[in-house]
Amino acid sequence: MNKFDYYRANTIEEAIQYLDEFDKDIKIIAAGTDLVVRLKQNMVKEKHILDISRIRELKGIYREDGKIHILPLTTHSEILESEEVKKYATVLREACSTIGSPQIRNRGTLGGNVANASPAGDSISALFAEEAKLKLLSSEGERVISIEDFFTGPGKTVLKTNEMLVDIFMPEMTEKEIGFFKKLGQRNALAIAVVNVSVKLGRGEEKNKMDKAVVAFGAVAPTVVRGERVEKALISESLDSPEKLRYIAQLAWREVSPISDVRASLKYRQDMSINLLYEGLLELYKNNWKG
Amino acid sequence: MEKFKHIGKVEKRVDAEEKATGRIKYMSDLSFPDMLWGKVLRSRYPHALIKKIDTSKAKALKGVVAVVTWKDVPGLNGFGIVVPDQPVLCEDKVRYIGDAVAAVAAETKEIAEEAVKLIDVEYEPLPVVDDPIKAMEPDAPKVHDDGNIHLHTQIKRGDVDKAFKEADLIVEHTYRTGRQEHMFLETESGVAKLEEDGTLSVYAGSQYPQRDQLQLSRCLGLNPRKIHVVSYPVGGAFGGKDELTIQPILGLLALKTKRPVKIVMSREESMISYWKRHPMIMKYRTAVKKDGTLIANEVKIYADTGAYASLGGPVLNLAVEHSCGPYRLDNVRIDGYCIYTNNGVAGAFRGFGVPQVTFAMETQMDIIAEKLGIDKLDLRRKNALRRGDTTPIGNKLTTSVGTIAVLDGVKQTDIWKNKDNIERVDHNRPWIKRGVGIALTSQGAGLGIGLPDYGGAILRFRADGGFTVGVGLVDYGQGIGTSFAQIVAETMKCPISKVDVILGDTDLTADSGPTSASRGVYTGGRASVIASKRMMRILKNKASDMLNVSEDQLEVDNATFYVKEHPDIYVTYEQIALEFLKEGKSLPKTEGYFLAPIADIKIKDAFGLPHNIFSFSAHLAVVEVNELTGKVKVLEGAEVVDGGTVINRQGFEGQVEGGYVMGLGYALTEDVLIDKGLFKTLNFSTYIIPTSKDVPSKIQTVPVIDPEETGPYKAKGIAETVMCATAPAITNAIYDAAGIRIFKIPATSEYIYTLLKEKEKKEYADSH
Ligand SMILES: Cc1cc2nc3c(=O)[nH]c(=O)nc-3n(C[C@H](O)[C@H](O)[C@H](O)COP(=O)(O)OP(=O)(O)OC[C@H]3O[C@@H](n4cnc5c(N)ncnc54)[C@H](O)[C@@H]3O)c2cc1C
Repeated sequence: MNKFDYYRANTIEEAIQYLDEFDKDIKIIAAGTDLVVRLKQNMVKEKHILDISRIRELKGIYREDGKIHILPLTTHSEILESEEVKKYATVLREACSTIGSPQIRNRGTLGGNVANASPAGDSISALFAEEAKLKLLSSEGERVISIEDFFTGPGKTVLKTNEMLVDIFMPEMTEKEIGFFKKLGQRNALAIAVVNVSVKLGRGEEKNKMDKAVVAFGAVAPTVVRGERVEKALISESLDSPEKLRYIAQLAWREVSPISDVRASLKYRQDMSINLLYEGLLELYKNNWKG
Repeated sequence: MEKFKHIGKVEKRVDAEEKATGRIKYMSDLSFPDMLWGKVLRSRYPHALIKKIDTSKAKALKGVVAVVTWKDVPGLNGFGIVVPDQPVLCEDKVRYIGDAVAAVAAETKEIAEEAVKLIDVEYEPLPVVDDPIKAMEPDAPKVHDDGNIHLHTQIKRGDVDKAFKEADLIVEHTYRTGRQEHMFLETESGVAKLEEDGTLSVYAGSQYPQRDQLQLSRCLGLNPRKIHVVSYPVGGAFGGKDELTIQPILGLLALKTKRPVKIVMSREESMISYWKRHPMIMKYRTAVKKDGTLIANEVKIYADTGAYASLGGPVLNLAVEHSCGPYRLDNVRIDGYCIYTNNGVAGAFRGFGVPQVTFAMETQMDIIAEKLGIDKLDLRRKNALRRGDTTPIGNKLTTSVGTIAVLDGVKQTDIWKNKDNIERVDHNRPWIKRGVGIALTSQGAGLGIGLPDYGGAILRFRADGGFTVGVGLVDYGQGIGTSFAQIVAETMKCPISKVDVILGDTDLTADSGPTSASRGVYTGGRASVIASKRMMRILKNKASDMLNVSEDQLEVDNATFYVKEHPDIYVTYEQIALEFLKEGKSLPKTEGYFLAPIADIKIKDAFGLPHNIFSFSAHLAVVEVNELTGKVKVLEGAEVVDGGTVINRQGFEGQVEGGYVMGLGYALTEDVLIDKGLFKTLNFSTYIIPTSKDVPSKIQTVPVIDPEETGPYKAKGIAETVMCATAPAITNAIYDAAGIRIFKIPATSEYIYTLLKEKEKKEYADSH
């Protein structure tokens, strides 16, 4: 492991100061469940590590103006325990429940999962479906961007070297909204997604009709991707038969551009994007579009 | 049946507390004053000539105390249980990516890691031999000078060609199995230390300290008596620590530096460096009569043993021996090949060749049952070997044979009772299909003809009236220490708390052969009984002196001798011990030695087969297959096991459940992927072992006991059979659920999905 200097910030302000001081040569560590692995593999080039894990202001879940805010240091376990999340961010909740193992969920943070920018990051595709927004802060000020605009490639984001993620928020799911998160891994725990699919739907007035659909796929492109063709079909068609759902799910083929690796082949990932989506839709259909 | 106080009971493990509290010190936890850290330089290529090794830069690094290469190996630069063909440090050629080329001892781990990077090795890469079948061709590049076929074992019995002509059904398929890794939690690690008297102490978890001692003596050019090997405690082994691993390099560095040297391997280094389960390609042709009678089997086995022999030969031979399953077959032609490649190294692994052939043979049986419309249990029962029969390879079964007991036991399992009531197609999610599978297996226990097979135990009487039994075997999790304590307590008629167990130490324990081949309880246990009976005679004699009555008037219970007619006249073991000491005598010590009986025939040019003692088991699985994803979930498992008498009921269940889960991983996910000699799966992130979320919540254990007269309290052994038929039980269940035959394991979700697609395509084509 390469040597580095370690700093700890106790407040957001302190953190921003450190980021400015070592601009371009400092790396944030939250719980370290991703970063420590990379440190051990000598994949971190920065010579300074900034520990933000003790910043109280960056932890917690609250509701405000129809939005649910999950601060970046909130752990996956805390998300799973939250009553607010259970009611208002069900897709994210399902995603967090599949991350790693109890040990990883007890430590790993939502902000870390997002900022790590893995195309297979499970909370990320869910946050796409939840239409989440991110607040980024630096000494130059703050900006709010949509989660979709955050990622530029595997492990790459628009975060500037002196900037940090300070808030993740999303509209509360309404009575009319339903959704699901589906993940296929090589096993049922401690598994990196071969493919994951997140979907949020808004039920329309008519039976089997949706007036809203947000669909995202993980681990099938350099970043998590939206399934816009699928979304369009989901809101324009009457979802009245398994055959129709299957047909729509097949559009996923046009949304994804996976690769082959040691976990799965390109072809399998392609088919699984379709089939996980189909399975999730079918389950909702069989349940009369109740969540 | 005899009433026992300890045998067959649930007994707390003797090592439970120190393990649960973390007090126990594994070899990776050891630390000595002035200790150095060692690090091994492994090959850069899977196959290459070494042109030059320059260690000068590494030697110049501050904090480096020694850098060693082949030149520094004082004895034979080779190790290997059967043929010492694996260099301690390579001289002129590397044959796999984990081959050791040089090693460093330095003041810190970091310096050692830095130093190996500074060693310059000039290589001339050679073509990589990565396909065992191609490797057999005469003009294939050679891994070893004398050719790539390490061993060819052939067995011919009866008239195979005639039988095939008379067959009503011939089932012919090719099977493939994956490269399973043991994934013990403690990687190969330890410390070597030169003592003041010149003895070299080697602390490294392994399965046979006395053989380690011999192999080390040959590599290091040292009198074996000057080497003290401590191989217990071990953080898991499963066969992966049967052969030497880092011990010779540790020894070399300690001799060179005259300071204690420690190596703890990373998971990634462990993965590339040492043994795996042999991947096998198996071609089966089975001839059957309409009524289900098996009449002939033609089997070809190609085992990829990787770069060096280790136990590849015996593994192949056990596969050959068990290739026809526990069935009567009088016409067989079996050809087994053990082939060198540059695909890592393969060696001993729980089951030792049997899981591979069981997968193949039990799939054949499932296909036969289906094709002939015969019940799966009836087909197996019809052909099952019984005591007195001749096995397919020609030896006569004179010992306990539990096939029928096991098949009867299957009917008692919940899975079998409920098999017609499972929801075969999920009502709410019709793409979920369920099915039930079964498979039968047997496993030769012990080393087989050609390898001397014995157990040894030393029993010491202590001043507190208790006993210490020393057996050279090790407890690597299977619980053998507890079994020995139970056996001694039962025979010595004393509480278990009075028995201490010492394992795996060349100074303190008797050579009892390797802790492998399901032989620990049978050999070490029997030796413990013999030693205990001798001890009992000595104590009884003393008691009769002390109480002034003849021996035949004495009874013994709870560590006390008393007079039959007058139970108030007694003497305790503790009092007997004091008496010895008062008389100025040393406390008695006895030894037990047991030479295991062997089979009645030899196979020409082959060793390690046939066996004489066998354990038997049937494995069952209920699975569901998700047709949209190919994902398989094992919903319930069961095993019916005949290992003779059960020594520890809890240990028995632990073995069954652990074996089942290991078999489940073998069936569905576990495979070390190697591409052109390079490893693609280096750690737990891509080498997929089951977690608690991947195993069924219920694995039913049904012991059926076919007592074995030669075993301790009529026990045999179960350690391997409990994993050998799990994979075919699961893959047969997959067929039952989704109608796809699995000819290759691991049957990953992707593979199953591909098969489902093919089936769909074929059905579409057939209907159009
Ligand atoms: C065994 C294991 C299993 C896992 N399983 C899964 C899984 O199933 N699914 C999954 O998605 N992930 C999984 N992970 C990955 C990891 O646990 C999660 O991504 C976790 O949420 C990361 O959070 P962290 O706090 O540990 O991040 P860290 O490792 O501390 O940080 C990760 C990255 O984010 C950056 N970062 C963190 N916080 C901020 C911030 N506030 N502002 C800017 N940058 C920041 C860091 O600089 C770093 O680059 C697994 C990891 C392990 C070790």
